[in-house]
Amino acid sequence: MEHSAHAEHHGSKNEVRNVTIVLTVLTIIELALGFMMMKMVDGSAGKLSTKAFIIILMIAKAYYIVGYFMHLKHELRNMIMTIVVPLLLFVWFIIAFLYDGNSFKHLRNTYDPYKNAQKSVIVEKKEEGGEHKTEEPAEKH
Amino acid sequence: MSTLTTATVPTKWWSGGKSPFNVEYGKLMMWYFLMSDAFTFGAFLIAYGTVRFSTNGWPDPNHVFKSYPFASESTFAPLVFVSIMTFILIISSVTMVLAVKAGQEMNKRKVVVNLILTIIGGLAFLSCQAWEWNHLHHEGAWWGHNPFLNADGTQSTTNFTNFFFTITGFHGFHVFSGVIINIIMLIMTLNGVFEKRGHYLMIEKAGLYWHFVDLVWVFVFTCFYLI
Amino acid sequence: MSNEAVLHAPTTTITHHHDAHADHGHEHHHHETFITKYVFSQDHKMIAKQFLITGMVWAVLGGLMSVLFRLQLGYPDAKFPWLQDLLGKFWVEDGKITAQAYYALVTTHGTVLVFFVLTAGLSGTFANFLIPLQIGARDMASPFMNMLSYWFFFAASCVMLSSLFVETGPFSGGWTAYPPLSALGQASPGSKTGMDLWLIAMALFVVSSLLGGLNYIATVLNMRTKGMSMTRMPLTIWALFFTAVLGVLSFPVLFSGFILLIFDRNFGTSFYLSDLYVNGVTLPNEGGSAILFQHLFWFLGHPEVYIILLPAMGMVSEILSTNARKPIFGYIAMIGSLFAIAILAFLVWAHHMFVTGLNPFLGSIFVLLTLLIAVPSAIKVFNWLTTLWRGNIRFTPGMLFAIGFVSLFISGGLTGIWLGNSALDIHLHDTYFVIAHFHIVMGVASMFGMFAGVYHWYPKMYGRYLNNTLAYTHFWITLIGAYLIFWPMHYQGLAGMPRRYYDYSIWESFKQFAELNRFISTVAMVVFATQLLFLFNFFYSIFKGRKVTNQNPWGSTTLEWTAPIRPGHGNWPGEIPEVHRWAYDYGKDGRDFVPQTEPVGANESHH
Repeated sequence: MEHSAHAEHHGSKNEVRNVTIVLTVLTIIELALGFMMMKMVDGSAGKLSTKAFIIILMIAKAYYIVGYFMHLKHELRNMIMTIVVPLLLFVWFIIAFLYDGNSFKHLRNTYDPYKNAQKSVIVEKKEEGGEHKTEEPAEKH
Repeated sequence: MSTLTTATVPTKWWSGGKSPFNVEYGKLMMWYFLMSDAFTFGAFLIAYGTVRFSTNGWPDPNHVFKSYPFASESTFAPLVFVSIMTFILIISSVTMVLAVKAGQEMNKRKVVVNLILTIIGGLAFLSCQAWEWNHLHHEGAWWGHNPFLNADGTQSTTNFTNFFFTITGFHGFHVFSGVIINIIMLIMTLNGVFEKRGHYLMIEKAGLYWHFVDLVWVFVFTCFYLI
Repeated sequence: MSNEAVLHAPTTTITHHHDAHADHGHEHHHHETFITKYVFSQDHKMIAKQFLITGMVWAVLGGLMSVLFRLQLGYPDAKFPWLQDLLGKFWVEDGKITAQAYYALVTTHGTVLVFFVLTAGLSGTFANFLIPLQIGARDMASPFMNMLSYWFFFAASCVMLSSLFVETGPFSGGWTAYPPLSALGQASPGSKTGMDLWLIAMALFVVSSLLGGLNYIATVLNMRTKGMSMTRMPLTIWALFFTAVLGVLSFPVLFSGFILLIFDRNFGTSFYLSDLYVNGVTLPNEGGSAILFQHLFWFLGHPEVYIILLPAMGMVSEILSTNARKPIFGYIAMIGSLFAIAILAFLVWAHHMFVTGLNPFLGSIFVLLTLLIAVPSAIKVFNWLTTLWRGNIRFTPGMLFAIGFVSLFISGGLTGIWLGNSALDIHLHDTYFVIAHFHIVMGVASMFGMFAGVYHWYPKMYGRYLNNTLAYTHFWITLIGAYLIFWPMHYQGLAGMPRRYYDYSIWESFKQFAELNRFISTVAMVVFATQLLFLFNFFYSIFKGRKVTNQNPWGSTTLEWTAPIRPGHGNWPGEIPEVHRWAYDYGKDGRDFVPQTEPVGANESHH
């Protein structure tokens, strides 16, 4: 407690500046990775690991915003726990949903011949930017 | 903060008669409301992820979000406009922090200045979003309409635009309500309400909300524009 | 934030109870009109009564709906022309309840009972009533938000009620509102205006429960009186606290799911829709996943079960201990198991979806997590039984209902172990076995918890007693009736009889159950009529019941009985009492009970 009290009174100005710099740098790294990814092949290991790294950076940014801007780091430990522990529910929330989403894709590709065929039909691309295109209901058999 | 807690005897936070977290109930409620809201946004983003995982192919965001105001039709400038939006929100978060700090120091003038800057940041962000929505709409994108093809050239589902407009719309709605809250705070500050009250705790709560909006954007930005 | 600001803030009624007391002084001089006292009241006790009575109105309506559709199931060939005169042609045609009306009844019965009666009516009532009184607070953290919480619930009620009167009828796609049926107006008349109103009502309800839940959490954490540490709180408060946490974290997910559903219904999106033909027309929707909605729905839906059950568990623990004149057995284990249940509640949602196309491997993990719930549930059951063991039991009506709760929780809980298996679920899903399981363990058991609470705290609410003879009649008929209604359904379910069918008499396989169905329907009507007895008792006793003359009629240790018999706004006229011990010092050192307010004596033994 004493420590945080000090931080509030003396370190605050510097802290705001430092966190702003950190957030800016993290965002710039994210953007740089975003530009790098454009040249990578879809689904390649390189692209996937870059995406994973971007997600880690995203969580780091969230940590700085919640911890310093929202001041959670300077609250009492018990309060931090009541906020952070329930967020762990997201772990299973995300895993289960995404896993089942992926499984649903395989189900559809396996048992729906139309879907399976559709996934490799290249559509004639109009010029960049495109124009207002009306959605036709897909033909089915 | 030090008056009560620097006593040599460890404080019994949980023994009743005081807040175990040393915060007033309003701030506690705001925190738990934000937790709740985090689950709302979490559910949206996870639903987006689930549908994306269950779909063959997905449009490349770099070929969708590639323009900026006054650019020519053929401009290919991915990530440029959205990074401007991101920085606007980060900067407005910083000014909000400064407003809260100024409130703790009971510095009314500084509170007013920083609140105005925050409101301007919020409005700037909303304007950017309005431009982007309008631009995409002109390209034929809307709820139920997706003019973009998958990255591999196959037909894309409308869920790409469906989720984009729903989630950025819901976030934009939060920014909008945040701006409204900040305007109310500004008016209350100008009227000297907080000075009479002797504390600027309301500004802190509004600040929490504003930072949360920024926080959500970190996730929305990553999920829709980067990966 | 600086402490000075917090502690000396004149408008915040936090922490320091001296501050709160000063505030209270102000409110006493405030003139209360009829409107501020009974309608837009900010007194937690009045808001609790508002929740209770609105909940009771809904319970009667929802119960009546079940009687109507049981009429169809029990007597598929009979004609009721008088019902047609009463309800009109949408509901009853040629003296028979129409198929559309049947599904509307089933749907509304489910929605109303789950959300309006057992969520708002149960935790809304008792969280509001008991939290400030049992932790020693003048009122909720934010009385104003508390009032809003009720009025959002009231608005939700009005919208839901109005949906009963629209031309195309109320929503009729089941309380789970699965798309595509709920998303496509052309698929069913009930999915037109009725569904829109249903969604609006539910959205308002989510707001109400959020406002309430935040308040309950902040109050329990911040407003406990001096000495009331968390481990001295009565188990009711612990249970209501976890209930609020569950609500605050799970309702928003449902809310998101509903927003996506609203977009699918009105704005041409396909979040949940794909590959659809309705009445021979191919729909353009493509790429959505109906399973996604089920995931989102049950991410709330499962915690919702515990939102319903936990308050009942908490109240039952308190009532059992008080009326067995024994300390609750395993107090810390009780808290631990509540906590474990609250955590597991978030991890098991997909066990409602084993056969919907859920990945079977994922399903097996959900089986494991689901069966884990048996552990904390069993801890609770054994602790209740050991609390009763060799107790000096007083069979008050509240106590009887509490014991009935334990009985129902055991019988309904055991079938949960069957249903938690994804392999058994292939046979049992969507049968009457499921109906029997969740009605006993969640529906009737929680109703019993609610009745126990009402009988036990009625003297505190109204300063009068309920009539005991009526209460005992009510108890025995309801308990026996509940078993007679739902026990046979297990056999029907095992035989494969599906739920949600309009008429079983045309199915060769289910004709054999005609007699049984008639029996169930008859008992259901008797049990419903018995509830009217309770209603009469409740409202009659408000005005004519025997007056309470003893401040502590049950000889209870908890704080609410140290307040005046009819506490005013602010609960205690003087200082808020200070707490010196846990809530369960019954039969200690030769004394019948020791109130929480009594300082620990020098020679006192440890509990």
